[in-house]
Amino acid sequence: MFSFRTQGYNGYNLKYSPFHDSRLAVASSANFGLVGNGRLYVLGLTANGIVAEKTFDTQDGLFDLAWSEVHENQLAVASGDGSIKLFDVALNDFPIQSWHEHKREVFSIHWNLVDKTTFASSSWDGTVKIWSPEHPASLTTLPTNSCTYSTAFSPHSGTLLSAVSSDSHLRVFDTRLPAPHTVHQIAVHGAGAPPAEVLTHDWNKYRPGVIATAGVDKLIRTFDMRNPSTPVSVLAGHNYAVRRLAYSPHLPDTILSASYDMTCRVWNDGYAAASTGTADAAPGSCLGVMDRHSEFVVGVDWCMFGAEGWAGSVGWDEMLWVWDVRGVMGR
Amino acid sequence: MAAQRLSQLSNQITGTPSNPRDAVLAKNPDDVVIVSALRTALTKGGKGGFKDTAGADLLAGVLKGVIDRSGIDPALVEDIAVGNVLAPGAGATEFRAAAIVAGFPVSTAVRALNRQCSSGLQAVVDIANAIKTGMIDVGIGAGCESMSLNYGPAAVSEFSELLDANVEAKNCKVPMGQLSEQMAKDRGVSRASQDAFAAESFQKAFKAQQDGLFDEEIVPLTVSFEDLKTGEVKKITVSKDDGIRPNMTAESLGKIRPAFAKDGSIHAGNASQVSDGAAAVLLMKRSKAEQLGLKIMGKYVAAAVAGVPPLLMGVGPWKAIPKVLEKTGVSKDEVDIYEINEAFASQCLWCANELGLDKSKINPKGGAIAFGHPLGCTGARQIATLLTELKRTNKKIGVTSMCIGTGMGLAAVFVNEA
Repeated sequence: MFSFRTQGYNGYNLKYSPFHDSRLAVASSANFGLVGNGRLYVLGLTANGIVAEKTFDTQDGLFDLAWSEVHENQLAVASGDGSIKLFDVALNDFPIQSWHEHKREVFSIHWNLVDKTTFASSSWDGTVKIWSPEHPASLTTLPTNSCTYSTAFSPHSGTLLSAVSSDSHLRVFDTRLPAPHTVHQIAVHGAGAPPAEVLTHDWNKYRPGVIATAGVDKLIRTFDMRNPSTPVSVLAGHNYAVRRLAYSPHLPDTILSASYDMTCRVWNDGYAAASTGTADAAPGSCLGVMDRHSEFVVGVDWCMFGAEGWAGSVGWDEMLWVWDVRGVMGR
Repeated sequence: MAAQRLSQLSNQITGTPSNPRDAVLAKNPDDVVIVSALRTALTKGGKGGFKDTAGADLLAGVLKGVIDRSGIDPALVEDIAVGNVLAPGAGATEFRAAAIVAGFPVSTAVRALNRQCSSGLQAVVDIANAIKTGMIDVGIGAGCESMSLNYGPAAVSEFSELLDANVEAKNCKVPMGQLSEQMAKDRGVSRASQDAFAAESFQKAFKAQQDGLFDEEIVPLTVSFEDLKTGEVKKITVSKDDGIRPNMTAESLGKIRPAFAKDGSIHAGNASQVSDGAAAVLLMKRSKAEQLGLKIMGKYVAAAVAGVPPLLMGVGPWKAIPKVLEKTGVSKDEVDIYEINEAFASQCLWCANELGLDKSKINPKGGAIAFGHPLGCTGARQIATLLTELKRTNKKIGVTSMCIGTGMGLAAVFVNEA
């Protein structure tokens, strides 16, 4: 395990560079993101451990980040003041572009993996917006009418994107459709259970149309867009709200999650078992627990390069851990 | 902002759904809270207990009541905004003097403002906003009106040729009674339904008065009163609304002749009474109230103002209430009490029906039809009435709203914390 301390700043998320196997970035906020500055760390994985190659300071806290898929040096950050800023690692101090349209905290930002020329953001103001780095204003605004914690483009289609909100719903949009562009509006809590804020979600990288969600009810659920009315599988284990989850870029069944219970967990998402089994949601299984963080863990990301299994996590303990998921299997 | 983020994040951990109602009810240190909301009795214009009392004297009385009952050090109050409609210059000069008489030091600033019938609420909202932005820490929003002394033909100013040449602009000076009559006709609000609504207002107010439900919100004032029959001037103490009549029914109201048109539906019994009165609301940051050890009555949440066509000024609340609810995210059914000014039974009823509000939630202690509408006072008076009723019934969310002459509506959301 390698570590880096984001001293004075509480981590909110990290992302590995899609271009360099030794580069990752961390979005962080002073004072747990409640009030004060933000800092973007661009870090290098070197023979001497993790070193800060560059930092960018912002007025308000940073809650998420996304590397450009077309430009190796550029990355966008989501800020508490409602702004989105694009930084260039080769330059110092200031962003090369800043967009200020969201009226509340921007809580997630995600680059389009197929189209590569656009990215999406979601905000507490109840909207998802689509942007292009070249364009000074947003291209599209998708209303969710509810504080939206997370948005993500499909890894299989450049026009499909999804969002999860505090109203306990997962929404899927297709930008080719006329406004409001909605394809699905899925009540994540399902019938019978009380609604709960959904804080995070991610698309399966191998099975088009499979999305995992998680949030305040501590459960991770997977949905198949071909039959989204009930979850395919439900993964129980976290003791507090699940704050972030990410599907593995290498294995179709593997999810990594981070929680306010101060742990990261590795899961088999139970999808394969469910497809052969009954109509009931499959249970999935927890494969391992990583417990090195001493505060809320709020960000995880998988490394796409090298041996499958390397991942990073950040938390409110000001710590970034880079670790091999295989090392915690069975724990 | 920090407090909002904190409550949002802590809700994620506790699992408490951060639905809009919870967000509105949440207590944060930077909330603007109400420590005192009081009013004088409302008395009949020209013959009631305050007929010989200047508006500024009523204001001085209610301000003194706020100091006495809340226990606030008057030197801590930085600004007093007073809504008034009829006094020349909205009473700016005499209200400053009234504050000094009430016991405020010269360091306490005073201003007068006029947004017609919503002036009292506008004053409270202005003070709340000044506290929110950090301009002041403690302030009073008030309203007062002596319709006995200031109501008359001079209340409507002359229009220039320029204004008269524009049709919609000219509509701004059409008298309220006349345009409300037309609106009732156009929108199909029947005489019978207006009379039923008005009778209910009287019945609710009479019962509330009998049960002493107004006593907590009223500051008794001792004033000079000239007996019209004997000419004798004596001191009287006014502690009860004197416009409330017993035994009013839709049938008895049905016999009154229409006031504005022969075939009209609006009359003295289903429109607001001409009255005198004052009301004042003491506001500050929650952190300040806690620091001073003052008892918090409730919280100011949000306000919204909306414009409507001048000839349809009565629909103001219909436009303003959804606007303020949208700001808070609270649904209309989550509101426990609506205190909507009864300028005319026709417009209040129309707004309530059009918004689909639960009738039992509207003006549970009656309204302006039963005890009067001293124009500039009403907005602040409604807050005093609203908060005491929310407290008594142990309810939480209240909305207050009114229509505004020349075509507007103002609405605000308050939360009971008593």
